[in-house]
Amino acid sequence: MVLEVDHLTKDFGSCRVVDDVSFGVSEGEIVALLGPNGAGKSTTIHMLLGLIDPTSGTIRMFGKSLQHHREEIFGKINMSSPYAGFPSRLTVLENLLVYARLYGVQNRQAKIRALLGLLGIDELEKRPMLQLSFGEIARVRLCKAFLNDPKLLLLDEALGGLDPYAATLAKEALMQLQRQHGTAILYTSHNMVDVEELCSRVVFLRRGRVIATGGPTEVTRAILREDRKRPALSEAFIRASRSEPHEVQ
Amino acid sequence: MRFNRIAAVVERHLYDARHNLERVTDTLYWPVMDIVVWGFLTVFLAQRGNLRPGLISFLLGAAVLWGMFRAFQRDLAVSFLTEVWSHNVMGLLTTPLTIREYLSGLLIINLLKAIVGTAAATIVAFVFYSYDFFPYLLALLPFILVLIIFALAVGILVTGLIVRYTTKIQSFTWSITGLVMPFSCVFYPLTALPRPLRPLALALPTTQAFEGLRQVMAGGGLSLARLGSGLALDCAYLLAAVAIFDWLFRAARARGLLVKME
Repeated sequence: MVLEVDHLTKDFGSCRVVDDVSFGVSEGEIVALLGPNGAGKSTTIHMLLGLIDPTSGTIRMFGKSLQHHREEIFGKINMSSPYAGFPSRLTVLENLLVYARLYGVQNRQAKIRALLGLLGIDELEKRPMLQLSFGEIARVRLCKAFLNDPKLLLLDEALGGLDPYAATLAKEALMQLQRQHGTAILYTSHNMVDVEELCSRVVFLRRGRVIATGGPTEVTRAILREDRKRPALSEAFIRASRSEPHEVQ
Repeated sequence: MRFNRIAAVVERHLYDARHNLERVTDTLYWPVMDIVVWGFLTVFLAQRGNLRPGLISFLLGAAVLWGMFRAFQRDLAVSFLTEVWSHNVMGLLTTPLTIREYLSGLLIINLLKAIVGTAAATIVAFVFYSYDFFPYLLALLPFILVLIIFALAVGILVTGLIVRYTTKIQSFTWSITGLVMPFSCVFYPLTALPRPLRPLALALPTTQAFEGLRQVMAGGGLSLARLGSGLALDCAYLLAAVAIFDWLFRAARARGLLVKME
């Protein structure tokens, strides 16, 4: 297992935002962490990134405790989140050069140029970040996330704001990374079409709790309580969002 | 500690200096302006015959070194604030970069800035007021070290406060040295302070450094007692600042403040 999350719970004061969540991600697997706004997806991802301390529960990556092996683990993982920005006056290349050095990437310029090409933004190399559109910044974030050929990639709304062509390039890049390096990906998104296309497994959260888990078709069946042959995650998402968590479980 | 990660922090701030006129202003403009103002004051006092021999050296030397102390502390905290303002904290904290490596990188880049700023101020003092700082330089180096370590401790403390209380308290970055200055005996001797305030002044490494500076400039040589006290106090403040920073950082992480720091 690349990632093991066991009974993870987070309270902010009296408010429980993540409640006894357990799941795992194996090598090369793409798992979607889904749920309506406020379900606890981002908080869970932020705990996996060591940015928020869990109230209880454990996180293990590559068989090691995140708490005790942070430096070693963070060399092998990467992330993309809309909460993460870049120094706006630095150019795209300068920002990525700094991150490449932080990850100890060899032959930094060549690696960065290859990634910029892969995501179709090689012409942005010399542009300061403040001149980029939201979608272009999202693609720079993905370049940053691919820099160290991570074994585990945590993507929080990583394809949000991308036009259909850019989204296709980004998905192809994700699949290439997964094939070449056996990268495991934990992916949050509100785009159910992307999830059905990319993910082999879904963990569905509602008010901080896991209400369904399994393949996209299994989760559809579990939430809709109907015998479906194909995934229909959008429909399941709306049903789950309207229901109380105990009604779905 | 990995050298490549410390170098990455330095590289990031060198790029920032290249694109950001504000950083150049902070590094050069204020140290030079300080010296210009203090220089005119010494000229005015000299013209009225109110200046004892050696007082020009005290005033201009103190102005140069206080400017360096203030700039070093401020720039350390501003370096972190630039990451907060650009929402880059999350990105940095999710790399293998450790807090010690990050602070080491900031120490190096801000030491470079302090050297550039102090050198510019010294050259202005030499060219326009014929004040030659260099004969004292070797003897003053230990006290400069005392000032830099204390500025580092104050900078770490302010950075920790920003981590915990976010940019609500960012004005501390520019104002905290003002709180320390009256008790640091920068431009006047310790004996000028009211007696009840002297123990407080003596507990500051800055006071030890500026008292030592005056002794050197008065030809009294290097005071090992002042230097020893200054360095011992520095160690205590630095250890306390690192411990407080760790505590504030953990508190911020528990509250989820590292994610949406603004």
